[in-house]
Amino acid sequence: MSDRSLHASKNTTWKSIDELAQGPMETGEFATGTTSAPVFDSTVSRRGFMALVSASMALTAAACRRPEQKLVPSVKSLENATPGLPVYYTSVYAHRNAAYGAVVKTREGRPIKVKGNELHNVNCGTASSEMQASLLSLYDPDRIRRPRLDTGQTSFDAAAAKIADAMLEAQGAGKKVAIVIDEHCSPTFTQLLTEFTAAVPNAMVVMMPSIVCDNASIANLSILGVDAEIVPNLGKASVILSVDSDFLGTDKLALYHSGRFAARRSPSSANAAMSNLIVAESQYSLTGMNADHRERLHPSQLESFIAVVERELVGGGAIGGDLARGASTETTKAAVNAAVKLKAAQSGEAVVLTGRHLSPRAHAIAYSINNALGCIGAGKTIDSACTLPNSQAKGAGIAQLQREMESGNVHLALFCDVNPEHTSDRAFRAAMAKVPVRASVNLYEDETAMVSQVSIPAAHWLESWGTAVSINGTISVQQPMIAPLCDGVPSLQDTLITIGKKVNAAFLGETATYADYVKSWVNASVLPTVPGVSWTKALQDGVIASAPATASAAGLNLGGGASLVSHTVGTGMMLLTAPSLTMYDGKLANNGWLQELPDPVTKITWDNVALISPGTAVALGLASSKDAKSIAKANEKVVTITTALGAIDLPVIVQPGMADNVIATQLGYGHTAMGKVAEGVGVNTYMLTSAGHTTSYVAVTSVTEKAGERHRIATTQQHHTLSDGHGDRPVAKMMTLGDVAAKNYAVVSENFNKEGMDGKFLKPLSANAEYIYKGHRWGMVIDMSACTGCSSCIIACQSENNIPVVGKEQVLVGREMHWIRLDRYFTGDMDSPGAIVEPMLCQHCENAPCENVCPVAATTHSPEGLNEMTYNRCVGTRYCLNNCPYKVRRFNFLNYTKENEQQPLDLVQNPEVTVRFRGVMEKCTFCVQRLHEAKWHARDNGHARVADGDAVTACQEACPASAIIFGDMNDPKSRVSVAKQSERGFRVLSDINVRPSVTYLAKVVNAPASHVEAGAGHHS
Amino acid sequence: MTVVQEQERLQASLLGEEPVREGLVLGNPSVRDVTARIASIVESKITLKYLATLAVTGGMAAWGLFALYYTFTVGIGAWGLNNPVGWGWDITNFVFWIGIGHAGTLISAILFLFHQKWRTAINRSAEAMTIFAVICALTMVLSHTGRPWLFYWLLPYPNQMQMWVNFRSPLAWDVFAVNTYFTVSALFWFVGLIPDLATLRNYVKSDIAKKVYGVLSLGWTGSTRHWHHYEIGYMILAGISTPLVLSVHSVVSFDFTVGILPGWHTTIFPPYFVAGAIFSGFAMVMTLLIITREVLDLKQFITLKHFDNMNKIILATGMMVGYAYAMEMFIAWYSGSDWERWVFINRAMGDYAWAYWTMVVCNVVSPQVYWFKKARRSIPLMFVISIFVNIGMWFERFTIISTTLHHDFLPASWGYYSPTWVEISILIGTFGIFLSLFLLFAKFVPVIAIAEIKSILPGSQPKHHHTPHS
Repeated sequence: MSDRSLHASKNTTWKSIDELAQGPMETGEFATGTTSAPVFDSTVSRRGFMALVSASMALTAAACRRPEQKLVPSVKSLENATPGLPVYYTSVYAHRNAAYGAVVKTREGRPIKVKGNELHNVNCGTASSEMQASLLSLYDPDRIRRPRLDTGQTSFDAAAAKIADAMLEAQGAGKKVAIVIDEHCSPTFTQLLTEFTAAVPNAMVVMMPSIVCDNASIANLSILGVDAEIVPNLGKASVILSVDSDFLGTDKLALYHSGRFAARRSPSSANAAMSNLIVAESQYSLTGMNADHRERLHPSQLESFIAVVERELVGGGAIGGDLARGASTETTKAAVNAAVKLKAAQSGEAVVLTGRHLSPRAHAIAYSINNALGCIGAGKTIDSACTLPNSQAKGAGIAQLQREMESGNVHLALFCDVNPEHTSDRAFRAAMAKVPVRASVNLYEDETAMVSQVSIPAAHWLESWGTAVSINGTISVQQPMIAPLCDGVPSLQDTLITIGKKVNAAFLGETATYADYVKSWVNASVLPTVPGVSWTKALQDGVIASAPATASAAGLNLGGGASLVSHTVGTGMMLLTAPSLTMYDGKLANNGWLQELPDPVTKITWDNVALISPGTAVALGLASSKDAKSIAKANEKVVTITTALGAIDLPVIVQPGMADNVIATQLGYGHTAMGKVAEGVGVNTYMLTSAGHTTSYVAVTSVTEKAGERHRIATTQQHHTLSDGHGDRPVAKMMTLGDVAAKNYAVVSENFNKEGMDGKFLKPLSANAEYIYKGHRWGMVIDMSACTGCSSCIIACQSENNIPVVGKEQVLVGREMHWIRLDRYFTGDMDSPGAIVEPMLCQHCENAPCENVCPVAATTHSPEGLNEMTYNRCVGTRYCLNNCPYKVRRFNFLNYTKENEQQPLDLVQNPEVTVRFRGVMEKCTFCVQRLHEAKWHARDNGHARVADGDAVTACQEACPASAIIFGDMNDPKSRVSVAKQSERGFRVLSDINVRPSVTYLAKVVNAPASHVEAGAGHHS
Repeated sequence: MTVVQEQERLQASLLGEEPVREGLVLGNPSVRDVTARIASIVESKITLKYLATLAVTGGMAAWGLFALYYTFTVGIGAWGLNNPVGWGWDITNFVFWIGIGHAGTLISAILFLFHQKWRTAINRSAEAMTIFAVICALTMVLSHTGRPWLFYWLLPYPNQMQMWVNFRSPLAWDVFAVNTYFTVSALFWFVGLIPDLATLRNYVKSDIAKKVYGVLSLGWTGSTRHWHHYEIGYMILAGISTPLVLSVHSVVSFDFTVGILPGWHTTIFPPYFVAGAIFSGFAMVMTLLIITREVLDLKQFITLKHFDNMNKIILATGMMVGYAYAMEMFIAWYSGSDWERWVFINRAMGDYAWAYWTMVVCNVVSPQVYWFKKARRSIPLMFVISIFVNIGMWFERFTIISTTLHHDFLPASWGYYSPTWVEISILIGTFGIFLSLFLLFAKFVPVIAIAEIKSILPGSQPKHHHTPHS
């Protein structure tokens, strides 16, 4: 623009003579010339000026930017993987010698979740807590990274050479080489070891599990000629008598049993049938918690009990006559009652199970009863075709190893994935010390590795190839999901191959690796027998249905059972060292998820304790009377327990339901080496059992209180919930089968508000019109009758939702982070209580009390009925936590994830779920990330809605009892909608009008219609 | 007549020997005397004793601030809170300090509007306490969140997230209530101070002090026009403050009443909280005034009559609080809700019964001695009782918060809460902040409203009868 030209051309009007004379004004009040910016050339327009200024501003801003960096895509892309999308692989998890099919979710090449394989007919898509938690051990920073020779690091080659040299030395000296392995279910490993012993003739392979379960096999060998443990199918049993057998808890096949047991535990009026579980036991086990009728017996009475049952049912042919005579009056009465119930069942529908620690004689008697009950045979509850692999009696082999070591015949002991220094008694450890060369191949530098000159790291099961055969003959290939996290860490089998080849070059010929070995075995020995299955298909499915290796039963010889040994158990104080419900034998003790998993019965984390009955607490002088307050004072006192094998100090917890004069304690704790998590947690109780002998009741010579000493026990549920009179709160409801049959559901609709309010809100108490959920509306049903309390859901949730481990100190304060917890309530009296397990998670209330109180609207309701938590928005006032009537919200009091995390532990995190920072609230989301994934899949496939069953929460997926049903409540045909119609359905705290989206189905006890204490905690 | 003589005479009148209406200012000082007496406190030298006391309270404040720093760096995990008990000493302290402030507002606003002349000698320090107490309360409320650096998200301001606060949340209401309270109280106090600051400006000798007081007195000359506007402005602020006496603590009580927990969800809380706040506020004013009066020798202005009147209010509000305790129990029974019944039985007999009974003894039992005039006029006794009431009122908030949270609906989720050293330090720290500010106030600001007290001097009011003349 040029004002000058403008004026020149348009100067047709004028205001003064000056203007007219001068033309365009150069001076004066309104000097037009100054309208041009003086700095720039007059041709610069205002717009141009602005453009220049903004450009220079941008330039200035650009100068402040961080140097530009480019993201370089990986040159080697992952095979078959799209970044951001998960890839699932099948594998198989071996819980010692029990195989469970696994599907492992990987993201960008790293495994982030272990779940069950639906095609595997043992666990049918479900997963145990240990199986899921083993994922965390993969990333455990305490795993061994490099081989060690004496005190220095070494190479694999040098370590293997050292072992091979020792083998050759042994050959030269005419001594033996002991290869000590854990029990396993891998046919290829068995075959590899056979070939190894052929190539190295002085090698003796000894299977030495930390918990030996020989008695069933000894009994089966003598009466059936089958040296194996027969696995019952409880799905076929309507009356189950369990004599000290914890088949739902610490049994290796608990996952298998839970599913089949629970399938018969959810009656309705239309089908008022359920199984009847009678439990006779000394401790209070998880199985005992699920019992319909429970007898607490002193261990000295257990075998007499089963003998009386046999006498009642078998009559003349009974093989336990002498034991039956030892039964007390009460035992006899209880046994006769149990026999009546067994007899009442339809033929073949009743079964007797015996605890693994009971004598071979007791197992034989049980077999005799089962024989009389008609439940033995092909396709029946007890089918000898269904045996646990490698469950042959092992005690003799272990004893022989001990003798050989003591006599100096063993030059080299190679401990493969076993920890006898921790799990065996003093005599065995002394024998170990006599072996000149000791070597350990393991995941951790554990106690045995510490006493070994050579320590070699072993690969995790998710890093290595393998095979496993299940109880019914299904073969699965264990395939690695990830290359070993520490470069070049071979699997145990690969290490053996390397050593074998060094000792004898001819060993395995051309086969160089275990992977090749597995592949050629499957191709040569398995696939030809199953038509139409290729190697690829076998890997895709994760299972190869193979004919079970039928045991050659030599015909029933019950008489053989009569001569078997029975345990002589004294009538005094007895100690039971049982596997831990959460840690099993302690092999995964360095796993924070498992350490912090509350024991389903005691709710204890991070410790093992001495459990005693209230009566015993009084008898030992730990409590002054059986009054609840006085009993509570006995908790956490430390006692010294002395047996013939030694003495240990353990803190006491009074466990209602225990038999008197029994102390129950858990194995798997008290590690002195292994890793930061395991060390110093609990006490090693293996030392009170003898190596190679089946754990059983041990006579206690004395129990003395350590005066003034207390050991704080971190429980997730306070002990004193027992002692406070908190009234009959109908929060966990229980009814009898008789009531179900009679359609008497009064207890289900019972509320705590008895007067004044009717406790039923037929209309929402709101000024607003009710919200109409148009799309999905997610909801859940939890069947408390099916739930056994196994706690798989807790680990499933922890793994899926990146829930941190907080440690014992924080649990003591009450800050555990689990989004789902299992509330355990006792009913009845303190001596023999019943129990209800109520899984408690965010109820996603429609009228959520947490939502309106958040000042920053960080927790809100989704249009699909979810109560959502926006972590980024949360400022952490904790008001929502206070106002939550279920107390399911979890606050990050500290920066748990960040503080406890070190490489490579962070790789376990699920990238779909935010890792929470300190100061924010979190809680169950109904696995909202899975719901979104399901919706995307539905949309991609052109569906308007997610089909029923396509959106599955982590807890639901893992639950072996199928007690959790999740789905769309807006779909009337969905499983959850149908389940919500159950007459047993109730909502917890329905009387406070929060309208939860979770419906619970009342627990049913198989008992005649009668008054059952409604609600929990009715105590004396 | 000397102060001592006058007190003796009053004592005699109490015993019925000679009926006399008690004056509000003793010793019949002249207007000039009043100015000199009060302004001299500001002008006097800072003593070593003063500095030592300030060092102690400042040390307490510093220790508390260190505990807050520790909390900010470690997280709320530094405290003893856990999953059932999400609030503990933090909110207890917050409600306690907010409550303390209420006496000041009541004295300055409501008593002013009702022409209660005896308020004049104590209103200045009571208002100062209000402000300092609210500062302590704000410290607690800002530090109690998990992510305190995001405190401004609690304020409604337009932002790029397009997020407002949740107007349904009582905590958002709290923010408004407390901020309004702080602003109005500070304004009211400052406006009341203007004539006195001008007096000080004229009185002090040092140049700096003259400048500071000069700026703060906003050019006050004491002209009739100034006084006219001042009186109107003061009256308006008193009017604005009056509803705050009722509203602030009602809103604070909504934090609990809007919750659905038995023990919180109750309609009695707003009036009960207001009564409790005035109760505790008067007790705190009492504690501090007894000391101030002794140390600064203000017996002439702050007389036993003032204390007598305040003790009557303490007795009255203490009875209201006691009534509320009884009514809570009654309603719990009468409601027919077993949740309610159980919570109140647990309050009196459960794990925190010690806290409940401490509260009852301190708040309900101890003020009962004030039925006796002798007790209302005994300085040592009222000092002890004012401390009892402070303790009792702190425990009232603790009881409401902790007993309700630790055992609520599902027995499986129950827990127990006890504080850590950090929380104890923070409480000590808030006392340190409060006392330090009060010490500074007592030294640098006229502790008694000079201008106002002149209006109640004997003879200053035309209608003033029975003025005892010496």
